[in-house]
Amino acid sequence: MSASESGAALTAEALAELRHDLRTPLNHVIGYSEMLLEDAADPALAERRVRLEETLGAAREALDLINATLGAARGAGAEEVARLYDALRGPRGRIVAAITALLPVSDDGRDGTFTADLQKILGAAERLVPSGAAGPAGPVAPMPEPAPARMPASPGALQARILVVDDGAENRDVLRRRLERSGHAVETAEHGRSALELLAARSFDLVLLDVLMPELDGFAVLEAIKGNPTLRDIPVIMISALDEMPSIVRCIERGAEDFLHKPFDPVLLRARINASLEKKRLRDQEVEYLREVGRVIEAATAVEAGTYRQGTLGPVARRADELGRLARVFDSMVLQMKAREERLRDQVRDLRQDIEQARRDSKEFPLAVDGGNLHTGERLGQRYEILAVLGRGGMGTVYRARDLELEEEVAIKTLRPEFVSDATLLERFKDEIRLARRLSDQNIVRTHDFGEWSGVYFLTMEYVEGITVRELIDTRGRLGVSSTLAIAAQLAHSLAVAHEHGVIHRDIKPQNLLLDDAGVLKVMDFGVARLAERTTSVTEAGLVLGTPAYMPPEQLMAEQVDARSDLYAAGVVLYECLTGQPPFQASTVMSLVAKLLTQEAQPPEALNSEVPPALSALVLRLLAKKPEDRVQTAAELLEQLAPLG
Amino acid sequence: MAKILLVEDNEMNRDMLSRRLQRKGYAVSMAVDGRQGVEMARAGGYDLILMDMSLPEIDGWEATRQLRAVPETREVPIIGLTAHAMAGDREKALEAGCNDYDTKPVELPRLLAKIEALLGGPK
Repeated sequence: MSASESGAALTAEALAELRHDLRTPLNHVIGYSEMLLEDAADPALAERRVRLEETLGAAREALDLINATLGAARGAGAEEVARLYDALRGPRGRIVAAITALLPVSDDGRDGTFTADLQKILGAAERLVPSGAAGPAGPVAPMPEPAPARMPASPGALQARILVVDDGAENRDVLRRRLERSGHAVETAEHGRSALELLAARSFDLVLLDVLMPELDGFAVLEAIKGNPTLRDIPVIMISALDEMPSIVRCIERGAEDFLHKPFDPVLLRARINASLEKKRLRDQEVEYLREVGRVIEAATAVEAGTYRQGTLGPVARRADELGRLARVFDSMVLQMKAREERLRDQVRDLRQDIEQARRDSKEFPLAVDGGNLHTGERLGQRYEILAVLGRGGMGTVYRARDLELEEEVAIKTLRPEFVSDATLLERFKDEIRLARRLSDQNIVRTHDFGEWSGVYFLTMEYVEGITVRELIDTRGRLGVSSTLAIAAQLAHSLAVAHEHGVIHRDIKPQNLLLDDAGVLKVMDFGVARLAERTTSVTEAGLVLGTPAYMPPEQLMAEQVDARSDLYAAGVVLYECLTGQPPFQASTVMSLVAKLLTQEAQPPEALNSEVPPALSALVLRLLAKKPEDRVQTAAELLEQLAPLG
Repeated sequence: MAKILLVEDNEMNRDMLSRRLQRKGYAVSMAVDGRQGVEMARAGGYDLILMDMSLPEIDGWEATRQLRAVPETREVPIIGLTAHAMAGDREKALEAGCNDYDTKPVELPRLLAKIEALLGGPK
């Protein structure tokens, strides 16, 4: 008998499970019988041996029957399975009869368990085919009750809304009742059009669709479902009395999930429906998963745009899987970021108050000192008109000027002739400026150009209206911890950016740190100090240009300068912000150097009790004499500052 | 006397197989699931492990992998037992680290031959 004569074959998994369930009790019958046989070698126990041999024979026969019907190499239909159950009753009866005949025998088993073992054999025989199961098999529902329970997917676990579409009233009724018995909610439609109307109005998990119907046939309905984006994902199982390959192929090609023949086998129907529903459930899960991944990505975009609200990922964060963990981590990261942002905002607000106060206090501060080489109203080249002197330093004078070409204000720094007289030095300086021009960051004053006009070498830079940290400290005295942290974070950030680009400042000091009215710190003169390098060493002519109080030992000794030298200078600046004075003070450069090399700075917390010990310690680490003992990078400094603020 | 650890969740199988092995002269200890099997095996003292593959808690494949991952049980021979006889079960068992594999229902002479082969001769 071919599989198709008895309905389509059960799946390989279902068969394997059935095989297992039938073999297990037989395994027990055979095992115990063999064991008892071994004990019955005594000639006096001949009758016992006969009964046990009978039991073994019957069990092996049952095993052969099972293997013949359910062998792994062949498929079996539900009807064949039912016939097998029926056939197993014979051997089972013989096993029970043989063992029952032995039961009155007194217990003399080798293990003292003879009777108990016989009971075990009887129990196993009972499990092979339940004695209460129906007798002769009918053609419609031949499957004994235990069989459906052996199907891989348990019914009831997948209760679903199912639409049955069939023009035959009887078919519809039978299907509806069967499905409802399995716990599904069922709607029926008697033709294609009403099926599509129902599908549009309600939601279904599965459609059972008759192929042959008047007007709109099953193929057409299937096409309509699969062509509709909102219905496309509902699995459709086709039902037809036709058993010809082309119509099955046609259904599968049009997107049907499965195909069942009429008259269908109820067990197979249930198995296929459960399989389809399980597949749909998995697919729905996957779709939902992807949707939630989308939500996380959306949230990430919102964070970038600054519009993320914590808890937006709530439902995703409740998931128990890795996506849920990602969402939770994400949420807490955002929370931390927000808290940090808030703290930074508070710090900047304090800093702004300090700045405002300083500006009020320094009304008469002589910002526009005259005395440069250029005068107000004078033009530098065709392009720049001098507006005011902003300050004078060791290297030259800084002017506020108007860029007539671009019509914006710029700062111009003229360089004293002695710095540009050496051609080699000038080239090196140009290299440095070329590098510095690449720096673009809100905490860095942009360097625009390097030029020469009538023998005057000059740099043009972004003009920032504000005051320097020098002026702030000079008018306010020491700054609060909060304001200092606001300066520290921005200074560390600017250094991190510059160092990453290979630019070392070499002359970080309060005079080079500008603060605008919003509390934004801008570091100026990146690269400029390179020009003064040759003359900064005390060993050369005792002439120290630049600002020795902010220089680390290696720079004062004209040794190798690197990013860590800037970090030392930053440490001096922060020290001064917190205490109102630099760590070492002396009247001459030589005595300063001597102090610097031989003494340890007093901890800032000793001079200002408001300074938290952790911040005090961090500043001292920046001031370490040896570069390798300092905080090693500006990025690391930023990290170390984060928990303090 | 060789000591065998039988890891089997089915009570009747456990009872039967252990008794039959004891009759053949083996000392048999029993574990009822994979977790217990791994614990007992790691405590040591067994010459061979009979491992049912379909077990609760930790299945036989996973239990075997765990035993193969630690030095104290890496060398103990393991025979995997499955009832399914599905194609690929044997490969799966060997891949997990079983030395040999047998199907249930157990045919005792066949299983004994495998045990003896792994233990190096009849005990």
